[in-house]
Amino acid sequence: MCLAIPGKIKSIALQDNGNVKMAKVSFGGIIKEVSLEMLPDADIGDYVLVHVGIAISKVDEEEAQKTFEYLKEIGEIVELEDAEGDVQEKEE
Amino acid sequence: MKYLNEYRDPELAKQYLEEIKKTVTQPWSIMEVCGGQTHSLVKNGIIDMLPKEVTMIHGPGCPVCVTPLNLIDKAIHLALNENVILCSFGDMLRVPGSKINLLEAKAKGGDIRVLYSPLEAVKIAADNPNREVVFFAVGFETTAPANALSVIHAHRRKLNNYSILASHVLVPPAIKAVIDDEESKIDGFLAAGHVCTIMGNSEYYPIAKKHEVPIVVTGFEPLDVLQGILMVIRQLEANKSIVENQYSRIVREDGNTAAQKIIFEVD
Repeated sequence: MCLAIPGKIKSIALQDNGNVKMAKVSFGGIIKEVSLEMLPDADIGDYVLVHVGIAISKVDEEEAQKTFEYLKEIGEIVELEDAEGDVQEKEE
Repeated sequence: MKYLNEYRDPELAKQYLEEIKKTVTQPWSIMEVCGGQTHSLVKNGIIDMLPKEVTMIHGPGCPVCVTPLNLIDKAIHLALNENVILCSFGDMLRVPGSKINLLEAKAKGGDIRVLYSPLEAVKIAADNPNREVVFFAVGFETTAPANALSVIHAHRRKLNNYSILASHVLVPPAIKAVIDDEESKIDGFLAAGHVCTIMGNSEYYPIAKKHEVPIVVTGFEPLDVLQGILMVIRQLEANKSIVENQYSRIVREDGNTAAQKIIFEVD
């Protein structure tokens, strides 16, 4: 029910006497019309998350990498903690 | 598809599972709040691959399932009125009412239209000025703004024949109710990523603090769910209980303020 899918904005047009900002969004090649009323800053080329025909969030490209780097990151933290532990032990 | 396929990478999923196994030292019960997360856990077989110490408890997060019986009956009653076009998300059609469901009402001649978006219902109302168009507006915080937006569209187009049968529910009170139930022993939560996309994370800070439970705002793809579980377990093992955001590519701290404004404009 709360399903939402990311797609890429191909074009933007105003409808309903300029009241409604609509976009054509590509979902892996399938084009759907999507309302941008909740995402006024979205632009052509942006990836947006779409729920029931409405874009509700812009995908943050930098943040999108975090899931791929998280394991490496926590590995480094653990190494760092271990190293600090070693130093403390030596100091003692 | 970009931003979907890469979060389904089996190799990285294995690495996440390995890390979960390495991290966990004692039994923990974790609730994934959203039905979409449950779907991901089951469909991708994650639930069978987690170490035995980790028990996933399926949460209350499906607005279709928690819609009150009397509202289903009301929708059926409306659908059987010749002057009404009842519009609904497809999910609602098989939900049983006290006597029949909407699918059976359709078979009896009810004019029921299955829609992808509530905005389509407004177009139907504009095209059918002599009939009443009712949208069966179920949903959590994720869907409430879209339902509200349809009302704004109808108002702007000066349509007098459009209304919604609203059944909106909130997630944070449901989480609190689950925590307060003495029989439920839940150590940590995966909060519903798309609900937080709209509302942000602020409602969860007091819950995590007061009840000393880790809450990780989590997405829906296999790697999202695995990372969310790992983040909760890392907190539990370190005796922490804070709110973290696994789904930061989508969820902003304050949510979507334009969407919140739309909800309260109609509310």
